[in-house]
Amino acid sequence: MNKDDKISEEQLNAFLDGELESEERSCLFNEAELSDDLDQRLCQQRKLKELVKHAYRDVPQPNRLLSGRRTRTGLVGLAMAACLLLVVGFTTGMFMRGHLEPAQYPGGNATAGNTQAVTAMENYILHVISGEPEQMGLALQKAEELLSTAEPGYPRQVEVVANEQGLDLLRSDVTPFSKEIRALANENVIFYACSKAIQRLEEKGVEVQLVPEAITRYSALDRVVIRMKDGWQYIKI
Amino acid sequence: MAYKNLFGISQRRAFRRLVTNNRERLYRMAYAWTSDPHLADDLVQQTLLKALKNQKQLRDFAAAEGWLFRILANCLTDYRRAKRELLSADDLEIVDRVTPEHQFNDEQLVRRVRRAVQRLPINHRQVVTLVDLEEFSYASVAQILGIPVGTVMSRLCRGRRALREHLLEMKPRESSRPATNIKRVK
Repeated sequence: MNKDDKISEEQLNAFLDGELESEERSCLFNEAELSDDLDQRLCQQRKLKELVKHAYRDVPQPNRLLSGRRTRTGLVGLAMAACLLLVVGFTTGMFMRGHLEPAQYPGGNATAGNTQAVTAMENYILHVISGEPEQMGLALQKAEELLSTAEPGYPRQVEVVANEQGLDLLRSDVTPFSKEIRALANENVIFYACSKAIQRLEEKGVEVQLVPEAITRYSALDRVVIRMKDGWQYIKI
Repeated sequence: MAYKNLFGISQRRAFRRLVTNNRERLYRMAYAWTSDPHLADDLVQQTLLKALKNQKQLRDFAAAEGWLFRILANCLTDYRRAKRELLSADDLEIVDRVTPEHQFNDEQLVRRVRRAVQRLPINHRQVVTLVDLEEFSYASVAQILGIPVGTVMSRLCRGRRALREHLLEMKPRESSRPATNIKRVK
């Protein structure tokens, strides 16, 4: 029986992955010196490991969260991603609702028209996902309400982030709210269009033109995360 | 020791740095697991949202990376459970069409390796990529995936064996030798 027959695959892997103690490593080195077969097995395992590393050294990038880089990807998984985005959005909304005290969460469920008092110094990010004019109008109405309830001397920042069908709110050729957006932008409301939603439409051959007040850099969820980390309050419309 | 005390900076800032430093790695791992850029990105975002939500649970900064990857693994598990589907090799075929690797001269090789990785059962795929791409120790992988170290080793072994069959056109060693010759060195 060859010496290298004693060496199991697990041991070879442990050797390659740096999981063996120094003494065991020396022992295996010595045996590999004496056995071409073992040496070949080691080489193959090493090659395999390097192949896997090599294959994922550069991977296709979607829009980035923090670097701001934007690269194009294909149509793969769009349907899945869209579904997932819905789930994520819903989940985000759910856990935020769970975390916000009623007094910190003006309007609660915005669609329910709840109008609880707001705290003066808080900033808000409104997340619009619906393309229904009623919902888009509600978002603008909520933004206006948040501005108007700020205490004098404590200006409140409000940002409207639109994705999925909600992107229609900021598409110049689609939105019925151009004037309202302009008026709110003059009050320093920021309108943010989801870069990922734009990308998806463009991949479908839709030319996306945004109202001049809209800016885009990150995806909607990225933007929400960034603002949440800054302490902003989240309201999903 | 709480990491905010260890580094003398606020928890929020430390967390931000943690996210910034690890997002690329998380994405690469998610892509290796799913072969889908959009899904991978969504999983990473979910991971960051969950991490953000649960950041107070992170008490040991040294364990932060493993903690993030564990959340990522859980997100994938949740996704697969919700979808009630396996990310089969069929899914991989699509990926190759939409991710031209202009930066590689050996595009075919990259595709072949990714396809082989994608053919692995997800349990094996996760272990192989965590070890090979991120070079996590077996103990760390065990912690990330919530499995014993012995299971990590056996999954790694089977995963690499399958890769070897696909990529190096070499049959598993066991099949070419009598079983009695296969022994473990204590």
